[in-house]
Amino acid sequence: MGRRFFKSRWKTLLIFLAVVGPGIITSNVDNDAGGIATYSMAGAHFGYGLLWSLIPIMVALVIIQEMSARMGVVTGKGLSDLIRERFGVRITFYLLLALVLTNFGNVIAEFAGVASSLEIFYIPKYVSVPIGAFLVWLLVVKGTYRSVEKIFLFACLFYITYIISGFLAKPDWDLVKNSVMAPKFEFSAGSLGMLIGLVGTTIAPWMQFYLQAAVVEKNIKVKDYKHSSLDVILGSLIVTIVAGFIILTCAATLFKAGIRVETAKDAALALEPLAGKYCSILFAFGLLNASLFAASILPLSTAFVVCEGMGWEDGVNKKFSEAPQFYGLYSLLIFFGAGIVLLPGIPLIPVMYISQVINGIVLPVILIFILILINNKKLMGEYVNKGVYNFLSWVTVIILSGLSIALLVSLLWG
Amino acid sequence: MQEPDLKMFLFFSELLGRSIIDYNGKTLGKLVDLKVKLGELFPNVVTLRVKLRGEKSSLALDWSLVQSLNGNIVSLKPDAEKEFKPLELSEGEILLKEELLDKQVVDTYGAKIERINDIHLLITDGELRIVHVDFGMRGIFRRLGWIKIVDFLTNWFFAYRFPEKMISWKYVQPLASDPQKKNLKLNVTLRKLHEIHPSDLADIIEELDHEKRATVFKSLDLQTAAETLEEVNPKLQISLIESATEEHASDILEEMAPDEAADLLADLPEDKKIKLIQTMEKPHRENLEELLKFKEGTAGSIMTKDFISIQVDKSIGDAIDEFRKTTHPLETIAYLYITDKESHLVGVLTLRHLLLCVNEAPLSKLMNTHLVKVKPEEDVEKVAEIFKKYKFMAIPVVDKDDCLSGIITLRDAVESKYKEF
Repeated sequence: MGRRFFKSRWKTLLIFLAVVGPGIITSNVDNDAGGIATYSMAGAHFGYGLLWSLIPIMVALVIIQEMSARMGVVTGKGLSDLIRERFGVRITFYLLLALVLTNFGNVIAEFAGVASSLEIFYIPKYVSVPIGAFLVWLLVVKGTYRSVEKIFLFACLFYITYIISGFLAKPDWDLVKNSVMAPKFEFSAGSLGMLIGLVGTTIAPWMQFYLQAAVVEKNIKVKDYKHSSLDVILGSLIVTIVAGFIILTCAATLFKAGIRVETAKDAALALEPLAGKYCSILFAFGLLNASLFAASILPLSTAFVVCEGMGWEDGVNKKFSEAPQFYGLYSLLIFFGAGIVLLPGIPLIPVMYISQVINGIVLPVILIFILILINNKKLMGEYVNKGVYNFLSWVTVIILSGLSIALLVSLLWG
Repeated sequence: MQEPDLKMFLFFSELLGRSIIDYNGKTLGKLVDLKVKLGELFPNVVTLRVKLRGEKSSLALDWSLVQSLNGNIVSLKPDAEKEFKPLELSEGEILLKEELLDKQVVDTYGAKIERINDIHLLITDGELRIVHVDFGMRGIFRRLGWIKIVDFLTNWFFAYRFPEKMISWKYVQPLASDPQKKNLKLNVTLRKLHEIHPSDLADIIEELDHEKRATVFKSLDLQTAAETLEEVNPKLQISLIESATEEHASDILEEMAPDEAADLLADLPEDKKIKLIQTMEKPHRENLEELLKFKEGTAGSIMTKDFISIQVDKSIGDAIDEFRKTTHPLETIAYLYITDKESHLVGVLTLRHLLLCVNEAPLSKLMNTHLVKVKPEEDVEKVAEIFKKYKFMAIPVVDKDDCLSGIITLRDAVESKYKEF
């Protein structure tokens, strides 16, 4: 009995390790330039005031990502493939258009991240951004993305510095606890915008497409589905912990000192408790890694998703003439994304923040599609959304939509 | 229908959503789908699927009750409104919007997967038939309702018109499966799918999701399935073999080249491997069991037994006869191996010899006795180097008694070398 017990435990662990990845990788890419900027600003401008929101955001994240993963495992198809087949080309076209524009905003944010991180070393953006864009483009064209993925992932250990810094900054833990348990929230355009920004950067629309595609590519079988759920939950937990500590650390250092985050150097000061005068260098490294990581994935993923939905050829193994829309879209995203950052006088940090707010506004639309699909019994069989879980999912979508509408209203009539 | 001689082309996107008007001019509902009976070269529509006002689910109406498709409506014959019934889908019937439009299909002419943007129909002799399928940008623009504007703009600015990208229906193989049997709903005959080169079929299968993969693979005949399986990547090979029944899987393995089958079996879980080998027929089974004895990365693991050998005391004429008599497939016809009475390898002849020398010439005088041979335990790296040096098409493998066990072809050596990268 003893040996068989161990064997089944090992087997479970092995299966888990084999399917692990999509959720954890996605969540690490999730913490991109836009993420770091938004979390930093949330902490620096609102103190511990918005910390409570991470808990419902995490719940929403787990629910939404679990649905994407489940759809990927059960149907074996990507999200835009499913949308095209169920809703037709017209709806798919407009949805993909919105997605491309949103992702474009995110790509701009990534290159803004490259620019602002290297500005800490006094490297002008006119040098750093073109080189960064070229590197990213090269990574994909040379097909070395997979091997570099491991390096990027390893460098994500950088986020531990926020955790350490957070403790070193000796925050008022009672205040933290109170802010989380008994939150006070004012409905101004500023705080509403930040709230949506937090939602948008933690649950980015492009992530749902990416996660489902990654799950499909890993060919996870339906019977191993439980393991992919675990992977999703773990990934979401990581994201939330990292986000929480970034906000906490910035609140304990920047907010306390009344420093507003206008440039990357301001945000870097949050790491002073840990790194002293080297905080800028440490921060620059982390921001650069996050930006390049996401910049390598995002344009590529967008191109794949669009070509899948529109029925165009895709794949980096094809020549340009064989897959013109794929390469064209990918190149345009990088070229114009980097190009806009090069415009003189562009405020980099606000750009990163606004792109995440746009994410938050577009998110409910994508979610409605996901919910309609996942309630389709013909598509999902016995894995269709049921009972309480379904109710929770719809509530999440309604709340998020409500927030977006509230923001738009306050912007137009504010 | 009223105008039997009128031929009219229509796009399915123009029909969808049209109002259904009865004989008295009253609007009953709208057209949501068409059901087509497969089997003919250009299959015809047999049923309309309609959404009536006030009804929750859709109903079916026989095509024969349609009066005309003129104007932007569907007008019905007298009393047609009494004939609505529930929709049924039988074997060999397909719903255009539900199962074809926006779905992936195999373009057997271009040997790739395409997504259907629109369907081209023809009204002829009172029947509505599918003639083409639209994969191109025009189809997308038409569905978006932009085709007129786009044509105007591209013509005005660039004197350009987006070309039609349509394929005749006879080259289209839908990927929808029959609800009961889970087989592919076949367009005309299976032959079109089989005409695609196995490497292209392998690419197509790799691109599909796993449910469609299994369906397509199941519908291939044994020989095509074997050839395709050889071209597919190893991970997918295992997945496809595991999705087939044991009977079917062992039949396919028997059709495959023995060395490829051995490779595939070696990668399967032990119990599956044993079961499949046991299900195979005796000669194939023994062959494979012998090949499986050799470790991966050795000459023995990439060799094959499909070669010709002949006794040294024979003549060219005998050799040609032997060649002609051989019915089993040969990995290479470049060389003929000569053995003595105890099966020791003594020499080799090329095809050239057979063609140029007289029938009476004895093999012993013509054969090349300086042989480059390897043992089954030899490393594949060494084998590759030998090929690189001598540039042979094949090398014989001999056991410790110098008896011919098998041959390794250039192709197999190259494949095994590239796997190392």
